[in-house]
Amino acid sequence: MNPVTLAVVRGSLEQIADEMDLHLIHAALSPIISETNDCAHGIFHPTTGETIAQGRYGLPVFLAYMQFTVQNLLKIVAEQGGFRPGDVWILNEPYIGGSHLQDVQIVAPHFVGDRLFAIMASTGHWMDIGGNVPGGWAPRAREIHQEGIIIPLVKLYEGGRLNAALVRMFTANVRLPEQIAGDLAAMSNVFTVGRRGLDALVARYGVATLNDCLDEMIVRSERQMRSHISEIPDGSYRFTDWLDNDGIVDEKVPISVTVTVAGEEMAIDFTGTAAATRGPLNMSRNTTLSACYVALKHIFPDVPVNGGTFRPVRFTVPDRTLLSAEYPTAVGGYLEVLGQVINLLFGALAQAIPDRVPAAFFGTTGVTTMSGVHPRTGKYFVAVFPYPGGYGATRATDGLVHATSPQSMANFMSIEMSEHRFALRFAHFRLREDSGGAGLHRGGCGTEYAIEATAECIVSVLGDRVDHAPFGIAGGGPARPSRVVFHTGGRDWVPELRSKQEKQVLRAGESIGLASPGGGGFGDPRLRPPGDVERDLNLGYVGPDTAATEYGVVVEQVSAGRLHPRYRVDEAATRARRAAPRG
Amino acid sequence: MPGLVGIDVGGTFTDLFYAGDGVRPPVVLKVPSTPHDPSDGLLASLREAGLDPGDIAMLLHGTTIATNALIERRGARTALVTTAGFRDVLELGRRDRPHMYGLTGVHVPLVPRDLRYEVRERMDYTGAVLVELDEAALHDLATALRDGDVESVVVSFLHAYANPAHEMRAKAILAAANPAWEIVASSEVLREYYEFERTSTAVVQGYLQPLVSRYARSLGRRLGEWGFARDVLIMQSNGGVAPLSRLGARAAHIVRSGPAAGVTAAARIAAEAGFSHVITADMGGTSFDVAVVIAGQPKVADLTNLDFRMPLRLPMIDVHTIGAGGGSIAGVDRGGILQVGPRSAGAVPGPVAYRRGGSDPTVTDANLVLGRINPRSPMTGSDAGLDLEGAQHAVAELGARLGLGPEATAEAILAVVNQRMAGRIRLLSVERGLDPQAFVLVAFGGAGPMHGAALIREVGVRAMLVPRFPGVLCAMGCAMADIRFDFSQTVEKPLAELAAETLAAILAAQRREGEAELRRSEAPAARIAATHSADMAYAGQIHALRVPVEAGWTPARMTAAFNETYCAEFGNTLEGIPVVLVNLRTTVTGQRDAAPPAAPAATAASGPPAPAAHRRVHFGTWHRTPIYRRSDLAAGVALHGPAIIEQADTTTVIEPDMVLRVDRHDNLIVELGR
Repeated sequence: MNPVTLAVVRGSLEQIADEMDLHLIHAALSPIISETNDCAHGIFHPTTGETIAQGRYGLPVFLAYMQFTVQNLLKIVAEQGGFRPGDVWILNEPYIGGSHLQDVQIVAPHFVGDRLFAIMASTGHWMDIGGNVPGGWAPRAREIHQEGIIIPLVKLYEGGRLNAALVRMFTANVRLPEQIAGDLAAMSNVFTVGRRGLDALVARYGVATLNDCLDEMIVRSERQMRSHISEIPDGSYRFTDWLDNDGIVDEKVPISVTVTVAGEEMAIDFTGTAAATRGPLNMSRNTTLSACYVALKHIFPDVPVNGGTFRPVRFTVPDRTLLSAEYPTAVGGYLEVLGQVINLLFGALAQAIPDRVPAAFFGTTGVTTMSGVHPRTGKYFVAVFPYPGGYGATRATDGLVHATSPQSMANFMSIEMSEHRFALRFAHFRLREDSGGAGLHRGGCGTEYAIEATAECIVSVLGDRVDHAPFGIAGGGPARPSRVVFHTGGRDWVPELRSKQEKQVLRAGESIGLASPGGGGFGDPRLRPPGDVERDLNLGYVGPDTAATEYGVVVEQVSAGRLHPRYRVDEAATRARRAAPRG
Repeated sequence: MPGLVGIDVGGTFTDLFYAGDGVRPPVVLKVPSTPHDPSDGLLASLREAGLDPGDIAMLLHGTTIATNALIERRGARTALVTTAGFRDVLELGRRDRPHMYGLTGVHVPLVPRDLRYEVRERMDYTGAVLVELDEAALHDLATALRDGDVESVVVSFLHAYANPAHEMRAKAILAAANPAWEIVASSEVLREYYEFERTSTAVVQGYLQPLVSRYARSLGRRLGEWGFARDVLIMQSNGGVAPLSRLGARAAHIVRSGPAAGVTAAARIAAEAGFSHVITADMGGTSFDVAVVIAGQPKVADLTNLDFRMPLRLPMIDVHTIGAGGGSIAGVDRGGILQVGPRSAGAVPGPVAYRRGGSDPTVTDANLVLGRINPRSPMTGSDAGLDLEGAQHAVAELGARLGLGPEATAEAILAVVNQRMAGRIRLLSVERGLDPQAFVLVAFGGAGPMHGAALIREVGVRAMLVPRFPGVLCAMGCAMADIRFDFSQTVEKPLAELAAETLAAILAAQRREGEAELRRSEAPAARIAATHSADMAYAGQIHALRVPVEAGWTPARMTAAFNETYCAEFGNTLEGIPVVLVNLRTTVTGQRDAAPPAAPAATAASGPPAPAAHRRVHFGTWHRTPIYRRSDLAAGVALHGPAIIEQADTTTVIEPDMVLRVDRHDNLIVELGR
């Protein structure tokens, strides 16, 4: 294998996948794709289905997931006569694909002459997929049919001809038909970009050389992944955490992982995890595997995204658990489960390599959906607000404030833009003081905001992490947990399931208040330099009580008035307090 | 008649370009920059050039003062006043993280949380007042802040772009409390929605304004002491210049002054050489800057992230940077695949060849091993010349890990770094539906002309142009730019709901504002021109498309123009979905008559000169290659590759299957032979 060709071909394939990402991001109608990059594109091996390259603009959650979808699909398509030029397949069935019904995948073969050369896939999040709750996050769903329409693996295009009847079926069953039709057209155009790039590469190197490169790239990535795993001390690392409840029954739900490292190989075993829940807090096996790769990629960022990376890791995901959902289990709350799994991996590996792993991040995507008819336009709107929150601290630094979920790069919509588009208004939007876990390095703070309806609308919220706060590592403390408060009929109230509420009506002037968790702390807070605690107090990141109890510093307030209060730490008294035994 | 002088103050060097006055020849030189007071280096360059104040009609200046103040956080102590409930908009940003993978990294906002204050007031998205401004509370706050060490105050209220009344009133109250404060209202800096981006832009302005105003005053004074009393114009990031007297108010507009000047010069030089579509390729020691010029107009970006969570939403020439330069380090990743950059050896330790302690092989080392760089090049400043043996050793060591010989390894390093640069060029041209055959690649910077030949082959660009003075292109760009001011206004309404008169009124107001700004600046402009554009999108889309429009167009005409542009960009239209007008924009330029010739017109040469030397250069195999001095190549000369052209600030590589001609402006034009 010529090393120059290999390096250049790898770069070129990554570039083609990037171009596919960018094309959809610029052309999509839904803000969730164009604003928050909720999409992914990949090129896959024609016989094994392994990932060859994946775009670097799409979301991490789709890392592994598309490979497993393509692998499932290869079997099904073979039974139906195999791939033919001009065919495009579509599906959103989570048990074959992954995540939730809103994530629609389309897949197309790429032929060189009459030979299948590669498979291309595009995943995009549709703003609405029908079902009981606008936007699709139904916190009380008991089966998948309440969450939206299911698209089994079918042909969207056959021999280059669009199945227009299928598109009409979609648009008739979703709340935002214009957007969905526009997004589907944009996704189909992406393959033109991919084909152009692949054809140019074939013209330059020829099929035989490229096939050798594809095989070699996978082998090299495997070698790279093995080299990282070999640096983790051998051993078995177990970690358990709990979901607050499943959206139906108010009982906590355990999820357990055991990560076993032996030399260059890793085994990830979810034995001990609860059975599939009655509510929507479940996810398919593909999504569970993807969550593990997201966690590993955050720990080892230079691992490439291709099939070889997946080879040295073995999984045990017992059947019929909430991590291996099967029909007709609801999966609309999968983001809560996925956040939990990412943190579990951090919690387990922190025992082996604490210097490389962050403490728990805020852990809940807590999606809030507001929908109704805008009085100005007379049109239906669906607004989706995912939780921002704090990241866990690391050996190197404090945690980030107002971070995005690790499986995502999704932004929070502009407040001014939201008020233009939707019948709502923000009452406040601020850093949640004193919400990061204490530590030598402090967890990032969460965010608090309140959204008021300016016309009647319905709100659903699907969160978790009220009863179980994000944890600290290496002696660091936990963050403040989530809090959701409705303000209706002149009173404040917390939902029965704390962070889950389905289709609550808000009249004009009524509101929902949300406070997201911070991230966990790293290391003993009593080792944090007193000067840093003083700065945290003056900036309002830490409150005076926390400074005294958790950080063991002695402070006095030296000024207030119209300006913000200022504090000064008494260094000598702090040393004495920190030296005293803890009581 | 006195001439024009362009001076670009960079981090390391201050470059001067004097256009000449018909009697005195042009002057091109570099002196070391003086970061403690950049005007020292600027005056030193004028003295070094032997220029008297009377020789200069106008001084045009590019500066890194704003960029450096942001990077090093050396700006003013700034306070921020916001709508009650929204103090943290600046710190929170839009829910993100610094890198896609890895949850590390922190954010330090330009205004810390204890200098951010709230005041009761609120508008809705139409600009209607929901809560009146609490003037008494603001007055109390101003009084309390007055005794501190705050130098500037930024006011940023929600929906102020729709109705700036509260911001203007707050500004007056603050100014009355302390006339010494520099006060910036978000709506004065940007009349567009997106509260974080607007607040961040206003904060960048407030943070820089005191420093930049001081610099402008001090530079004006020192030039006055030197005896120069004529106009001084400063290069802005949008590719136009603004007068020194207005610089404080334009502080946020000069953060990419130097790169913008380079692109402006490249565009102008290419246009004079007969190319209207240009890709500019500036390759230095650590980075590769690329920009696209269509029909003579550099592409402009609306938003640039200056740092993590520090967006600047002002029009800036869209310069894309990747970590690929002469100092980029070549290595093998854990999978055994060759990688080049983005890690760079920088200036210290630098490439192995520079004898400053570098041990990792770099792109420069590969070029040296292949004979493309003269080992006795003066670039290192070391009398011993470049360390060819050291470079060969480092490259051979890397080659051993790949199973390649030293020359093959060096070629591989170039192939990989060229592929990365070509990929970025392709993303900006081919993938945007532009045919590379219509472009010329203008290569500059120390390493640009060395790699340009490979890039035009890789991307399929028609030709490479190397200007006469590729090392001082930014200084030349200053001397060539027009005076330019940009205006925008968010509309955010379906075009079908808008009247033609409304659109015309907004554009006319923007034009009037620009003309007034030009008059205030008293800068010499021969002609004033205004161009208009509109950002439009299908209802629901986030990413709007910029479409040139004309004053007096009806909403229907604008809709048609949008559909046409959308189809060209994305291959289809979404008929049936209403088109929304997001922003209207106007650019007012004061065009200068006295633009200097890009390079002196030379007389045609009789035939190719004799090479200054021959050297073995590796292009697949070793070729005995003629080496020419740039100064020996007169207009009209034509040569076949392989050839190497050497000049003090760069080396141009002509590959074996390429042809070179020198045009009548003394530019090198390199094309694939047939």
